[in-house]
Amino acid sequence: MSMDLSVPETWRVRGPLYRLEAARCRACGRIHYPPLPACPYCGSRDLERVRLPERGILESFTILYSVPEGSRHKAPIVLGLVRLGAARVVAEITDVDPGDLKTGMEVEAVLRRIRSDREAGIIRYGIAFRPLLRGGGGGR
Amino acid sequence: MVEAYVTGIGMIRVGRHFGEGLRSLAARAAFEALESSGSRDVDAVIVASTASYRGAAQLDLAGHIAGSLGLRGAQTLAVEAGDASGLAAVEAAWSMVKSGAASRVLVVGVDKLTDYVSSRVYRELQRLYEAELQALYDIGHAGLAGLLARLYMERYGVDRETLSYWPAMDHAHGKHNPYAMLQFAIDPKAVAKALTVAEPLTLLDSFPIGDGAAAIVIEGEPRGEALARVALALSAAGYPSLTMAEDPLKMDSAAVTAARMREVSGYTISDMDVVELGDPFTSIGVILAESLGLSQPGKAAVDAAEGRFTVGGEGPVVNASGGFKARGHPIGATGVYMVAEVAMQVSGSFPGLKVDGARRGVAVAASGDGSSTHLVLVEEVR
Repeated sequence: MSMDLSVPETWRVRGPLYRLEAARCRACGRIHYPPLPACPYCGSRDLERVRLPERGILESFTILYSVPEGSRHKAPIVLGLVRLGAARVVAEITDVDPGDLKTGMEVEAVLRRIRSDREAGIIRYGIAFRPLLRGGGGGR
Repeated sequence: MVEAYVTGIGMIRVGRHFGEGLRSLAARAAFEALESSGSRDVDAVIVASTASYRGAAQLDLAGHIAGSLGLRGAQTLAVEAGDASGLAAVEAAWSMVKSGAASRVLVVGVDKLTDYVSSRVYRELQRLYEAELQALYDIGHAGLAGLLARLYMERYGVDRETLSYWPAMDHAHGKHNPYAMLQFAIDPKAVAKALTVAEPLTLLDSFPIGDGAAAIVIEGEPRGEALARVALALSAAGYPSLTMAEDPLKMDSAAVTAARMREVSGYTISDMDVVELGDPFTSIGVILAESLGLSQPGKAAVDAAEGRFTVGGEGPVVNASGGFKARGHPIGATGVYMVAEVAMQVSGSFPGLKVDGARRGVAVAASGDGSSTHLVLVEEVR
């Protein structure tokens, strides 16, 4: 296990990492994620933090077998490109049988353990997405 | 106006060079480039590599490489632009020569990926993508390419078998290149059946992990024979992540780069005889090709399948070297190989698949999912 998880690094990005904080440009109105110091569309620095909706649409997914060091026990890892209102995020897709994945399906955000560094005793959590559970017995 | 010429080239075969470190790999390529240029003196040494950014690697890499090559006193500069590092280094050398700041510049691209197990390499390489937040997840080196591949196939109705013709094209070309890591052809039907890397992409959609070094001498007033002229080198920054792109299947940095080339030189990418194009994964390759205007959206794999990009096709010939897939992609070094290959094509001296009568070509690559695109336009010496 590599000792490459940093506490300050994780703490700095707690807004986008745990609360899906994005940036909205007050000049052009567009939203981007993760937040940057200037709007990637118009260059304005007049930005405000907004929270993205916690439900969205799975626009694409992949099942990753070439898993990086430190997470091989999780293989394979499902990653998704998720449309959340006016923005997109890339995150892990969880609580699903890969065979049940379909683009266009609704997903919702949940907090999950992403990585851990046993030597340093650090556990990193973050947002993952799972298929939206429908009322009336929609199974996973 | 000072011109910039390629006067020397050195390359080593991309591969697993367990017995050689960065200095030794760099030296073999650099010495060959200097010898073929007819002189050992240089004003400046520019080193392209991503090795300095990995754990336990040499810092001030350009100073150490130049010193190890016996070039004490030369001006030094290390350049890193992810997947496009080598092209960015040539861009820097071109600017120095064109401006008169230096008259003979040695560009060395060198990288080593085989010192550690693959999973560690995947961890390192995922920092080619937005690393402040996105690379905190386990996206690996291939995850985003897999996401883009599915998006591409579903949007354009391109099936898996059609996509497979892109890496098959690289391999068909690369089997003739003595510097290519993988010198064999593959059946397009084998691609989908290979080991899955990031579904729907397989090992045969992915560049091989290898070491490499390539070097070129760029000179303002050649003392010896010039092989080619570097007509233009440019680049553009794009969106820091595909999550921000207006359309993830269009690389903004590539579109801007191609538009700027047309503005400055009058050429579109389709006017080229040869194109060396950065395709670490099949999906990235076809998206880059389309973003540059080489194919209509959704058509790059179809065009490859129909033989458009091979010798005898409508052209340009794409990746006569074998591309990232077959020549290989020793990350920071690759761009220098690409410029060397185009220069050899326009001078008729490429030792692999030759494009007869080639007069001009470009070497172009984006880093990661398009954070920047770099392009070098090379023409024959008239």
